[in-house]
Amino acid sequence: MMIANQTMNELRQKPPNELPPHKSPPLAGQGDEETGIKLTAEQLRARRARSIAIALALGAFVLMIFAVTIVRLGSRTDTGPDYMRPVQTNQ
Amino acid sequence: MSVTVARVEPSIASVGDYIELMKPRVMSLVVFTALVGLAVAPGHIHPVIAFAALLCITVGAGAAGALNMWFDADIDGRMARTAGRPIPRGRIAPGEAAGFGLTLAAFSVVTLGLLINVLAAALLAFTIFFYVVIYTVWLKRSTPQNIVIGGAAGALPPMIGWAAATGSLAIEPALLFLIIFFWTPPHFWALSLYRSEDYARAGIPMLPVVSGEETTRRQILNYTLILTPLGVAPWLLGYAGPVYGLTALAIGAAMIALAVRVRRERGGYRASKQLFGFSILYLFLLFAMLLIDRVSGGLLGHFAA
Repeated sequence: MMIANQTMNELRQKPPNELPPHKSPPLAGQGDEETGIKLTAEQLRARRARSIAIALALGAFVLMIFAVTIVRLGSRTDTGPDYMRPVQTNQ
Repeated sequence: MSVTVARVEPSIASVGDYIELMKPRVMSLVVFTALVGLAVAPGHIHPVIAFAALLCITVGAGAAGALNMWFDADIDGRMARTAGRPIPRGRIAPGEAAGFGLTLAAFSVVTLGLLINVLAAALLAFTIFFYVVIYTVWLKRSTPQNIVIGGAAGALPPMIGWAAATGSLAIEPALLFLIIFFWTPPHFWALSLYRSEDYARAGIPMLPVVSGEETTRRQILNYTLILTPLGVAPWLLGYAGPVYGLTALAIGAAMIALAVRVRRERGGYRASKQLFGFSILYLFLLFAMLLIDRVSGGLLGHFAA
């Protein structure tokens, strides 16, 4: 705790121009020589294909929920709330 | 203070690897038998609802396959038949497979419960649990009766299909369950006869490894003799027409003939390979005829009569 406080005090005393320069995180596929991971072309290709597959699966899931909801609602119009019942006309 | 973070290699797994993880061939059998269970059930089910139910059952089966491959990665790597699977080959990390399987299992069960009914969802959850925990984790490595008891997991899809259509269970789907349940031992033991060295190397106590070929060949014939009348039973009990019944009799007789050849075979596995191949055709024809019989509304039966 003492060491941590000391380090913080030292950092506070240093002028801003002596702080380590800010580095943006590496962009996908670019990597950082010290800390980041540089993706190979094969890894990038595989990740892109997986991302597209996940997007398609999610889209299909949403469509399925939508279709089932429409079918379920359609089969309940006669027993549902008033606004969903067919309009009766007196002739 | 420094934190050590394990370096994780970025995944190179393709979409095809994940599909392979779901055991597509097993999935196709599950879809087909579940479709038959759904189609032969009384009443009408909207095609969209039926499609959603089948999709959930398919994904649930894929989830069970992925979890099976995750747990069995060590023994899969030691067997020639399974060494090319995505985890032993290093294409997918075990943790990725486990996460993939658990996510799909949860999604399929919850979606089936919300969109179709709770009974079908409960049966699907039980099937995944039975296949992964009872069969894969417990029975497969501990008893030669592994595929006999574990076969229940593969036999449940027609019951899930029936439950999805009706919200209840009956004798007819139980009969379909029994057909697949008694079909599993001759099917897998025929394979294990000519793959017994593989199983022995992996330390899996399959029947030929533990009890020898003679016992396995006898058991194959015994189970086939139980299976054949069960295959004809839907006709005898009035659930299917005579075309189904005659087909079941003919292919049942062929199954028995092959099982007898396996029983008598010495110093080779030709009959075992033939029985393994024919057993797949047997189950497909049996369920296809049931489907045709029901969809055609008994028309085939009238023509045959």
